Amino acid sequence: MSRHRGDRLTAAGDAVAYQREWFRGLQEHVANGGRFALVNADTPHEILRAFDIPYVVNQWWSSIAASRSGAQRYLDLVAERGLPRDSEQYNAIGLGSVFDSDPATAPWGGLPRPFLVLGDITGDVTRKVFDVWGEQEGITFFPLENSAEPEMDGEWWDALPHDWERLTGSHRIDLMVDELRELIAFLEEETGSKFDSTRLAEIMALGNEQAEWNRRTRDLLAIAVPCPVSVNDSISSVMVPQWHRGTEWGRDAAEQLYREVEARVESGSALANPERARLMWVGRGLWFDLGFYRHFEQEYGAVFVWSMYLAIAADGYLRYGDDPLRALAARFVGFHEHLYVPPMSAEWYVHQARQHGVDGVVHLVSDDPRGNWATTRALEAAGIPVIEVHADNADDSSYDVDEFRGRVATWLTKSVLSSDNVEQS
Amino acid sequence: MAENNSAPPPIAPPNQGVPLPPTSAASALAEISSAARRDASYRPEAFVVGTVGQDVPVEIIDAAGAVALRLRGNPAWLTESADRYLGKGLDPAMRSLMEGILDGAFGRLDAIVISSDCDASQRLFYVLREMRRVTPEIAVPPVYLVDILHLPRESTARYNRVRVRQLLEVLERWTGNRVSDAGLEHAVIAHNRRRELQRAVMELRRSPEPRLSGVDALAVFAAADRMAGERYAGCLESLVAGGDELGPRPGTRIFVTGSTHDSPDVYRAIEAHGATIVGENHDRGELLAERDVAPARDLESLLDAIADRYQYSGPTAQRGSIAARAEHTAEGIRRTGAELLLSYVRVMDEAPLWDFAAQRAAASVPSAVVVRQPYGAIDAEELDVALRAPEQTGVNR
Repeated sequence: MSRHRGDRLTAAGDAVAYQREWFRGLQEHVANGGRFALVNADTPHEILRAFDIPYVVNQWWSSIAASRSGAQRYLDLVAERGLPRDSEQYNAIGLGSVFDSDPATAPWGGLPRPFLVLGDITGDVTRKVFDVWGEQEGITFFPLENSAEPEMDGEWWDALPHDWERLTGSHRIDLMVDELRELIAFLEEETGSKFDSTRLAEIMALGNEQAEWNRRTRDLLAIAVPCPVSVNDSISSVMVPQWHRGTEWGRDAAEQLYREVEARVESGSALANPERARLMWVGRGLWFDLGFYRHFEQEYGAVFVWSMYLAIAADGYLRYGDDPLRALAARFVGFHEHLYVPPMSAEWYVHQARQHGVDGVVHLVSDDPRGNWATTRALEAAGIPVIEVHADNADDSSYDVDEFRGRVATWLTKSVLSSDNVEQS
Repeated sequence: MAENNSAPPPIAPPNQGVPLPPTSAASALAEISSAARRDASYRPEAFVVGTVGQDVPVEIIDAAGAVALRLRGNPAWLTESADRYLGKGLDPAMRSLMEGILDGAFGRLDAIVISSDCDASQRLFYVLREMRRVTPEIAVPPVYLVDILHLPRESTARYNRVRVRQLLEVLERWTGNRVSDAGLEHAVIAHNRRRELQRAVMELRRSPEPRLSGVDALAVFAAADRMAGERYAGCLESLVAGGDELGPRPGTRIFVTGSTHDSPDVYRAIEAHGATIVGENHDRGELLAERDVAPARDLESLLDAIADRYQYSGPTAQRGSIAARAEHTAEGIRRTGAELLLSYVRVMDEAPLWDFAAQRAAASVPSAVVVRQPYGAIDAEELDVALRAPEQTGVNR
């Protein structure tokens, strides 16, 4: 399956093609009376996999809709129900699809109706969006608590795979294990199937193998100069398999990515020649302007060598242990804290910036602020230039491409490319 | 922190000892209203614990020999310092509250306990915790998060019971006092009694001819930890006993939902239209008094009862489900005899936006919403439309 754009990773193209095919299969499955679940990204999908229940990740679906002009269509449908059009769009876009009566013109043929929505109560609004899902006929919303800890260690990334009980907190894990048992009971009732703990252990093992491959890829890219892989490609190559975590395909896709990156590094492949600056993208992907990253590679020789998608795939998911349910709970308790809550997030970003030898950081700040001050402060304290840029990554209604890129270009020129550390053109 | 507004009226000094109770409902109300405006604790000589959010079990703070002071922002304060740390994308009420902490506006604060009652509270905790770690040059008192959760499940109850015990240990460490069975029981009884009195006072604005305004009601709740407990109880008793002496209030009876109000400014603007706010379901008002702690004698049972009380307090806009909020709102309208439902939604407080459609559907009276309102204010034109033609309002203005 190597029919992709010349410089694009085969792994990325294959992943997207696989997902398209998989989604088509899902639509067929539902058309034939099958059921599926809609899940929030940071929830324990592995339970559904153990029951062989297919699932669609809400954030993935939102990104598909947003990158194919579906965002406004779906937000309009949300607004028609008297619900806010401009609140938590990233989740609301997905919700709009349940009101869509014209799948023929919808992105990818539209999202069928799930029987279950699985979400964690993060922030004030996410649960409301899922409440609305749960009010629709035939849909059950199963919420998971979002617990928090008064004290946390800043350095977690090396010890977490084995020492998760201590780093995550036993009480929080206890809570999620209890919730998962309730979810299992619900699914047993719904499907008539018995939960199989051995099957979950196999799924956990495959997920860990996948994460180990992602870790190898991330570590390789961290030291690969020049950088041979665009951030766009690494996002697709990692995220699609992430939604198939716990399958052989997911694991093999992660290995494929590693092998391809390894080959590119060995051949001296470069995104930009010369590579004048190595940049880090902190924040969610800019789905409606994915050309942003390529623009800076081509125009300035500034290469985005890091995004959270590969990095968290490398550091966030590994959990070893004899009790698969407990290990699974530990995988998702406070998952977002590694990305958004200091000191865990701030220390990790600095560690990643140093590992990748970045010259500067572009920090996307959405309306829902998540530890931005701490992240920017920590990076700057480590001597790394940072620009904060503001946008809602899934809603382009207030996005001005020239203004946005222009700000970054000005900062790049003045604060990064003028540095003695970067190659002068 | 600079003031961008004129100073409020002077605040009476706190009462020392327990003088005679107020001789009339009017004087009790005046005393309560004065205390409600106080930013600092009435007992600066005590170990003062600033609390953030409605889910801090204040019974445990009292039992540990400390004095709780629920912190709040002030719309008159500029928030330049807080914005630097919290960003401008967060509820301005929380940014204002943080400004008060950084500026020392709350007087003596030996420690701060923050609850997980909303995203903004949690973000404040994370920022303060990080500041204590990386900016030692900025004075921030010891800060602790009490993570009370709200799903109506036994698993959540077990989790909360652990969290209240951890809070007790932290408070004992901070104050050096050991919490006894009797001490905690006493605190629980006192707070239950306080809530009972608050509920009785609220009957005054629910009567066919309301005797209490919404502004007064907010003051009743705000003053609870800003005057001595016995004195506060005495004032509430005087209010209940002499409520009929207060003049009746005419006008449309309004039930307010949506964002919280830590200043009376918005209520004042609404009631200036001749209306009376007869009830609300946000956590600076009646929501605080709806649920008591189940009585118990021993420490372990009391702690369980406290955890359960806070788990099931609410439902707030930020932690309750849409369905629970709609049902609670409809019940509030029935209970208060309200003639209009008004949802006031502050800018960057988005949860109430999602509640409104279901609240409107469940309400037995006309409903209006004003959205993205500035902190401590309400747009006059939008308020006018909301009162005159509520059906013309919606969350997507």
